Formats: sequence, structure tokens, C-alpha cells
Amino acid sequence: MTEILQILILGLTLGGVYALMASGLTLIFGVMRIVNLAHPIFIIAAAYISYVLFTRFNIDPLLTVPINMVVMFFFGILVYRLVFAREAENPRYSEMTVLLTFGVALILDGTLGYIFSNTQRITSPSYSTQAFFIGDLFIPKAQLYAGIFSMVLLIALWAFLKFTPMGYAIRATTQNRSAAQLLGVNVARISMLTFGIGIGLAGASGALMSFLFSFFPAKHWEWIALLMSLIVLGGMGKQLGAVVGALILSVAAAFVSNIFGPTWSPVTFFLALFIILLVRPQGLFGDKVEAT
Amino acid sequence: MSENLAVTADISPEEIRRQRNAERILATSAPRSRRLLLIGVLLLLFAIPIQAFLGNNINYVLHLLLFTMMYVAMASSWNILGGYTGYISLGHNVFFAIGGYLSGMILLYFGVSAFFTAPLGGILAMLVGLFFGFITLRVRGPAFIISTIALLLVVRIFFDNWDFIGGSNGMTLPLLDLPVHLVKVPYYYGMLLIAMVAIYTSYRIKHSKFGLGLRAISQDEVKAESAGIPTAYYKILAYAISALFVGMCGSLWGQYLTYMRPNIFLIILIAANMVLMSILGGKGTVLGPIIGAIALITINEFFVSQLGSSELNIVGTGLIMVIVLLFFPEGIVGTLRRRGKLPRILDWE
Repeated sequence: MTEILQILILGLTLGGVYALMASGLTLIFGVMRIVNLAHPIFIIAAAYISYVLFTRFNIDPLLTVPINMVVMFFFGILVYRLVFAREAENPRYSEMTVLLTFGVALILDGTLGYIFSNTQRITSPSYSTQAFFIGDLFIPKAQLYAGIFSMVLLIALWAFLKFTPMGYAIRATTQNRSAAQLLGVNVARISMLTFGIGIGLAGASGALMSFLFSFFPAKHWEWIALLMSLIVLGGMGKQLGAVVGALILSVAAAFVSNIFGPTWSPVTFFLALFIILLVRPQGLFGDKVEAT
Repeated sequence: MSENLAVTADISPEEIRRQRNAERILATSAPRSRRLLLIGVLLLLFAIPIQAFLGNNINYVLHLLLFTMMYVAMASSWNILGGYTGYISLGHNVFFAIGGYLSGMILLYFGVSAFFTAPLGGILAMLVGLFFGFITLRVRGPAFIISTIALLLVVRIFFDNWDFIGGSNGMTLPLLDLPVHLVKVPYYYGMLLIAMVAIYTSYRIKHSKFGLGLRAISQDEVKAESAGIPTAYYKILAYAISALFVGMCGSLWGQYLTYMRPNIFLIILIAANMVLMSILGGKGTVLGPIIGAIALITINEFFVSQLGSSELNIVGTGLIMVIVLLFFPEGIVGTLRRRGKLPRILDWE
């Protein structure tokens, strides 16, 4: 029983971080139908910002969350203006942008690899090796803090989408792009800002990643399928779906890791992806199968 | 057909006659000059190793050519699924690895050279393609693309942890027992053969009812289905055929390198190259992947010799991909063709 509880705790705290990573991805997909294969490399880029700030100026990675969010927000808008704004009205936008984001991912991957070289990095604040003990249970501080930070940010995102005028506009654009435009939403501007926000969220999760997982530029390929499996399980474009998908799969991966060993825990996500595609392609919360 | 057009467009009978003559000329002369061109290129390619037989060391040229021919075969192969059918696979090097490892293991345990087992590697890749296509071709567009990346990662983890095939350390294969200046020649001819068969298959598919069906699927799958095209069957078949040649290339490539490791076969850059070559040359055309492969390898070779960094190589690959997609989505062949500047001798559509 204790063991199961232990696995649940580890799975859920990590699941919060996964949910934060996936939330930006699903937001971008919801509003613009962009499947952002470059999302994980944005996260890793942000992790490098935290890494540099930590090693050079000794700033705690948790404190770099807001810095990363602002930097990556503007970086996201820049990338959007340069690459994705051009073809926004193309009926085959979704298919085309998959390859565009793939290209962007390659560019960033190579650039980061050139600057930082492909060696494993991790930031090591004091709490990264400490843990709380409650009876027989132990909770690593790093995971707990990261999970709490993620949940706070996710609730903030939810409140933003629910209660602010811009949040309304974003949700309206998600539901029906042309109807939103007819009702006076500046869809082009909303798309740009949403992309910025999505990448900003990637920035925040990058700061958390910097002390949770060791990272190097080429590692983002592994994260792509992982994050995709989360949002495919939840139903692509659904915020709540991304969170639920992340928690379910994270706990599942923690169990697999416990039973078969940590090597096989990533396989959970990939196999889950196949099974979802086979059984219920629209995911848990999805409305219908995407036509394009 | 042309009469209908003529009536609606209100063209004089004389004009129609002239057009028909033009068509007849096009239909007879183009293939002949094209055939001459092809025979010329093939003779040249077959003749190049004579230099090696004469005792000269032209290994660099042979390596570059066989590398190009391998990618010509793989990009043409990818194009059958990604170009004709419109299902973009970013994990096609899974089949490359399957072919390579099957032939490599047979070579190690039974001593049978990859030159004989390459078809087996291709067939195993094809079977895996059939199975995997059966699962994932039910979804379209982005979901399919993601599933191909997931396939790549799953296979990578299994290969990395399967001790029988050497795990992440890989295995060493025996060298061919030939003098150093001749050792690349058999691979050269092998790749040439695979490339020829791949291009011929691609050409025949493009000009068949099957190919028309695939093109219909890429345009609008629902309409294609309602027009009576067995879309599920066609898609899976396209996937399997496009896996076949990639698997055969893998078989030869593994033995050529004399060692196999998952991080040689199963890196996403190989898949990215196949995709990029097809898009650069012109997705969905017969000639596109060939031109794309030659162009990209030339650019790459130039960059490596000038800058010598694999990281900048990745940046270059990404940059070319973004620029081509944004400004020339039809690729070299497609853009030239639309502007009417593609020499007729190269118009294989």
C-alpha cells in the first residue's frame, strides 16, 4: 500500500510538470491548428536560460520561471511573425506547419548544440537532492516544488482563459475561427499572442525541467512524442484534457518504471499513443476525429 | 476530352489540329530523348568503377555516389507515401534500421552477405510497414505524423535495450575481403541497382491506376473513398512499398559501415533528410526526390568541407526546410514545371 501511494505521489508531482509542458502545446493547437513539433526544443532552450542564469549568477531555477516566461513569450512572437504568420489562411495550414515546426526544431536543435554542445546538463539547486519524509513516504523537494509551481501556473492559465476578455477571445477562436472573426475578434493578433503565451508556458516549464531532468539539445525528439501522447490522450486542443492526460500517463509511467525498470517508462507514453490512436483517435475529451 | 475543351473554350478547328500535332510530337519525341538521357546516365554510372578496376583509388567519389544513390532510393521511396499519398512519415528510418539489423545479424550468425539478404531486409521492413500502417493509417494529418515519430522512439528504445542485437553499443560486422580500392565497388553497384528499381517503381506507380488512387487520397480522402477507391488497402500498400526500398538500403548500408548501432540508424536526421529531399525536389513528382537528394547532398558536402560541423549541418537542414516550405512549397521540379521552365526531357509526370 505504501509503495503504491509512493508511486502515486511521484507520478502526480511529475504529472503536474508534464501538464504544464503540454498546456502550451495544446493551446497552440487549439487556436491555430499548429502541431508544434518545436515545443520541446523551446522548453530545452528555456532550460538553458535557467542553466546559464544559475551557473553564472547563481539565480535559483524557480526564480527564473518569470524571466523565462517573458523571454520565451517574445521569442515565440518573433518566431510566429517570421515563420507561421505568412500562411495562416492556407486550408492545409495544419499539415504544412507540422513540417515548418519540424524545420524550426532542427534549426534550434543545431543552434543550441553548436553553442552548448550535446553534453548532459542539469542545474543543481540545494533542494534538488533533498526530500520530505512523511512516515515511510518520501517526497523529493524538487519534484514537489515543481509540481506546485506547475499547478499554480495552470490555475492562472485557466483563470486567464476563463475570466479575461483576451481569454474569451482565445477560447472563441479555438471553438470557431471564422465565427470569432465575424464577431470582431482580431484572429490574426490573437493567434500571434496565443503562440507567444504557449511558448511562454514552454519557457516556464523549461525552468522546472532544468533541475528535474538532465537535458541536451538533441533530447527534444524524445519529448515530442511524450508531450504529443499527453495531448492526444486528452483530446487535442483541450486544456483540461492535457492536464488529465498528463496525470494519467505520468502515474502509469511511474508504475511501469517501478515494475520493469526506469528504461521502459518512456515506452509507456509511446505505446499509449498507439493504443489511443487505435481505440479512440479523438482522445478522452475530443469531440470528433479531425478531418485534416 | 480535348474536343470538349475546344467547344467550351471556342477554339478554331485549325487550332485543335495544331494542338493535336503538338501532343503527338510530345508523346513520341519526349520518351525517346528521355530514354537516351537515362541510358547515358546509367552507362556513365556503370562505367565509373572501371577507374577502380584499373587500380586507381577513387573511394571518395564512389562513397559520395553510393551515398547519393542510397538517398535517391530512400527519398523516392518515402515519396510514394509522403508525396503521392500525402501521409508524411517522420520515422521512416525505422525501416532502414530493420533492414540493416536483419542483414547484419544474418551476416554475423550465418555468414551470408547482405548482398543476398537485402531483399529479405526489404521484405521484413515491408511486413513491419504493413502492420504499423494497419494501426496508424486510421488517423490523418498531424496525428499520423506524431505516431510515426512515436514509432521511431519505441523502436529506438527496444534496439537500445535488446542485448541480442548488441544494445546501444551495437555490433561489428566483418569487412569484405577485397583490396582497398575495390572494397566499395560492390556496394556501389548494389545501391545503383536499388536506386534504379526504386525509381522505376515510383514511376510505374505514378502512372498507374494505383497511383491515381493515391493522388486522390492525398487530395480528399472522403471523396476518394466515395468514388470507389479502396483507400484503406491503397494506403497500407503504399506504406509497405515505401518501406521496402528503405529496408533494402539499410541492409547494404549496415554492412558497408561494418558496424551497426541504434544511433547510426535511428536518428531523426535521416528521416528529416528523406523528407527534406522530397520537398526540396518536389513532393509528389517522380523526379523531385532524385533532384532533391542530389542537391541536398551536394550542399551538405560543401558545408561540411567548409565548416566541418555536424551541428551547423542540422541548422542548415532546418533552414532549407523552412525556406523551401515558405517560398517554394512545390519544390524545384514543381516550381519549374508550373512556370513552364522544366525541360521536357525531365518532365516525367
